Amino acid sequence: MSSSMDRRKSREKTTAKDASTIETPPPPQISASEAFIVNLVCVFGLAISFSIANKGYSFDLVSDPSHTLFFIWIIELPIVILLFSRYRQNPQQCTYLRAVGRGMLGVPVGALLNSLGAIALGAPVTFQYLPKTVNWSLMMSLLTIVPPSCVLGSSWADWRRIFAQTKASGSVEYLICLPAHGAVIGGWFGAWPMPLDWERPWQEWPISVSYGAIAGYLVGVVASCGFVLAHGRSQHVKRD
Amino acid sequence: MSSISCTKLTLFTIGAIIIQFIGLSIFVFGFFPVKPTLSGHRFNDFLSMLVVPRVSNHQPATTMALQIKATLLFLPTALSCSSEIPPSYDRLIIMVIDGLPAEFVLGKKGQPPGKAFMEAMPYTQSLLAKCVGVGYHAIAAAPTVTMPRLKAMVSGAIGGFLDVAFNFNTQAYLDDNLLAQFFRSGQKMVMHGDDTWLKLFPGLFHRHDGVNSFFVKDTVQVDQNVSRHLNGELSRDDWDFLILHYLGLDHVGHTGGRNSVLMASKLSEMDEVVKMIHMNTLQNLQNGQGQTLLVIVSDHGMTENGNHGGSSYEETDSLALFISPKNHACNHALSNHNTVFQVDIAPTLALLFGVPIPKNNVGVLIPQMIDSMTDVQKLRALQLNSWQLFRLLQAQLPGLSCRNFPCDAFVTSSGHTISECKGSMEKLFCFLYLNAATAHDAWKAEVVTRSNSTEGYNNIVAAYHEFLSKASEWLSHKATDKPINLLLFGVAALITSCLILLRLVFVIHKDVSAGGTQDLGNYMKPWKSDEVFILFSIMILVISMGSSSMIEEEHYIWHFLTSTISLLFLRKAVQSFECDKAHGFLSSIKTTNNISGCQMGLLFLILCAGRILRGWHQGGVNWTNLPDISKWLEQADSHYINLIQIASCVMIIILGISVLYLMGSKTKVKMMIGSGLLMSGFLVLHHFMKHQDMSSSYNKDAIISIQIFYAILGITTVTAVLVLPWIMHIKTPETCSRQNFYISTSAPLVLKDSLYVVGCVYITSWCLLQLLLQQPINAMPVLLLFVQVLASMLTFSFSGSLHKQWVEVSCKML
Repeated sequence: MSSSMDRRKSREKTTAKDASTIETPPPPQISASEAFIVNLVCVFGLAISFSIANKGYSFDLVSDPSHTLFFIWIIELPIVILLFSRYRQNPQQCTYLRAVGRGMLGVPVGALLNSLGAIALGAPVTFQYLPKTVNWSLMMSLLTIVPPSCVLGSSWADWRRIFAQTKASGSVEYLICLPAHGAVIGGWFGAWPMPLDWERPWQEWPISVSYGAIAGYLVGVVASCGFVLAHGRSQHVKRD
Repeated sequence: MSSISCTKLTLFTIGAIIIQFIGLSIFVFGFFPVKPTLSGHRFNDFLSMLVVPRVSNHQPATTMALQIKATLLFLPTALSCSSEIPPSYDRLIIMVIDGLPAEFVLGKKGQPPGKAFMEAMPYTQSLLAKCVGVGYHAIAAAPTVTMPRLKAMVSGAIGGFLDVAFNFNTQAYLDDNLLAQFFRSGQKMVMHGDDTWLKLFPGLFHRHDGVNSFFVKDTVQVDQNVSRHLNGELSRDDWDFLILHYLGLDHVGHTGGRNSVLMASKLSEMDEVVKMIHMNTLQNLQNGQGQTLLVIVSDHGMTENGNHGGSSYEETDSLALFISPKNHACNHALSNHNTVFQVDIAPTLALLFGVPIPKNNVGVLIPQMIDSMTDVQKLRALQLNSWQLFRLLQAQLPGLSCRNFPCDAFVTSSGHTISECKGSMEKLFCFLYLNAATAHDAWKAEVVTRSNSTEGYNNIVAAYHEFLSKASEWLSHKATDKPINLLLFGVAALITSCLILLRLVFVIHKDVSAGGTQDLGNYMKPWKSDEVFILFSIMILVISMGSSSMIEEEHYIWHFLTSTISLLFLRKAVQSFECDKAHGFLSSIKTTNNISGCQMGLLFLILCAGRILRGWHQGGVNWTNLPDISKWLEQADSHYINLIQIASCVMIIILGISVLYLMGSKTKVKMMIGSGLLMSGFLVLHHFMKHQDMSSSYNKDAIISIQIFYAILGITTVTAVLVLPWIMHIKTPETCSRQNFYISTSAPLVLKDSLYVVGCVYITSWCLLQLLLQQPINAMPVLLLFVQVLASMLTFSFSGSLHKQWVEVSCKML
């Protein structure tokens, strides 16, 4: 058992080495404090949108899910795109504006992917739920797909490495990878109470799923902060 | 690397399975205990009742001979017991309102029922207010399902849980019960309503009209079929016992829950029935046609959602409402919140109508109901009930015989020495019984000089009640009591076998991974995430079995998990897509990409088919009323349904045949099987074309064609299983497909190939059979399922592993 595990690990190491030899630009790095600030701003955006919906218009996710989700994604949109475009890969070849454009393009694509996934898992497809599904998938897109599309662009190898294999290297990739996975897994878990017969209003699509996704996102954010910190330490040690 | 030999492995596995089997059977026996019951009827064996020792205070020394002498002295009283209590009423009407919680009529916890309920049943409430009727919360025992509850009401016995198993295949009730007693005493019985009565008591009814409780959506017709007889029956006088069983209220509950909009109207309909019967009984009383007792009972209550079966307060809170022409002296505020047990109905009715109490009764007579009797009769009733319970106690406690009873204290002092006798249940029961019996005998002896004996009388009543309540409590507890040790032992055996099997799995896994690394080296991809997910989902499934609502909506969970695992496979496919540019382990990148592309396409197909399948029907309990594709199609036109049916049949034939030939190697056997499938497929098609509307009855031709279909299908599948392995064995392994190269199992590849063909044949024939048997609306789901199965088969033949998906996919339609 243990020997096979070791072998697997060693193989992973060689894979990583191969990958690093092929990819010419080193993965972008940011300091732990900067990563912390980026995460804080994103979470702050979420909090702001919730409080606007709650205080300004006096509705929340349960009473009016589609408008609340709309607020969330419309406020997160500039924050996420403008923030993550700063950490684009090889900034020499790619201007800031181009990264922003990539991010904008990533919004509908990500929304499409997310909504397809949700529908495959059983989200309702009737017209009644259409605005909710659209707003939810746009929000999910901002939590998952848009940051990597700003940072990575169209580099298929990187996309596959981060999303299909969950191997992040470098602090920025931690910032992308962990919250996105957290949001998806959280949303998956959030769907579990839906078939129960508790007859609560929040069991409707997509309320519980959104709550789950946001909770998972927050967990991912915290975890990514931790990973960045650990990563920075190890880098520090290596440099020493 | 600890390795384990093959024989050892087999032995361990067989041992573990045997242990599991034993544990399971022990658990089942423990969970469904079989209690000793008394067979036969009470009518014949009054003599045998004399075994019960009766002690008088003339008998200080308890020797055996004296005992027998004493009992013989009381022979006449024992024999005359049925004549001693004359029937209090002439006719009995039992009106069973299925699923009516007592809360609707009597309120809950001292509060009157809700305003809506009060207004829905004005007549019944006025009867209660005038003290014409006395209502009780009759606590039903679990399982709160109609048939066991009916048995409890007529026999006073608490059945085991195994009764539920017979609920749909009701058998005649052979134990001693009220109906049999009435029948023997020559009374005419009439029943209208739920046909469970007819199944339980076949041949006992003079007249009957059964309705079926299977069509739960029907809340109107089912009661009209009972009420239409009412006028006729009430005007006749050829019956003594009338049973009316109204199912509508239960059906209302099942469709809309407690607060259904139909509930108020259903309650007022019941109220009308009560009013009609009561008016009639009053009229009969004036005409001198005898006194009629109307008993309104419900077999069980219902939860908020209208379900029942469990043992929550809402489900067990059933009603027992006695309405008689005699006025009861009652204190209204108190009497409506009296709680009795459902089993108490049987002895009460038996004593009121002067028939013997059923043998297995564990209930205690309701004291308020015998108020109209004289003191002698009341004591006699109590005595009869005590005798009967004592006999039942003797059956369950073989050591219970008060012959050599050590507690002699009672004879002299008749004081309260319970504490001395607390040692064993036997002694306690003996003491209580003898205490009451002695006092009763003493009282009877003093009959002549009875002047101010109300105090003595009250003491006897209290003594009898003490014995009755203790015995009843013990007996009913015993009936539902489960032997904990047996259960624990069964669970322990199950866990042991699980642990052994788990250990074996780990050992095998170790061996395989050790062997796999030697043979395949780097070719093996880590399947870690899927394996983890599958383990995780099995855990979730096991946990979700603990919640009843999760079981009700199980299909959603299955869909959710299968879709998720398909998505995970998709992710895996993406992982290997273009992956080999960097590594170059395999011969060329293109083939890998093709394979993973194919896989992705197939997985996408699986996901789409699964989603359509989910949308086809809204199953389960809570969301059945939501729109789905099948409802939409049914509304549209039957023409489309037929088209879809024929199209899916054609598709299944084409797909099945093409999959059969996909594996190359064309042998004659394959041709034969293919033609067999083709023929049966065409038969089905022909059948569909010919009988497009299902309403027309099948003629002879159709039956013959279906018989031919069955024959061909049967022959094809049997030959496929029997012949294929032998024929294929002759072929060299070269015919096997290249893809099997990945699969690292020790089984010969030939076997695999033939298994593949057999699997194909079976799936195709199963689908054809389903097409024939299912409703036309379900033809499309069958096709989609077929597509799913084939696609997943192909996907895994590319990557080769984890056949658990199969199980899940096939489970989903169940």
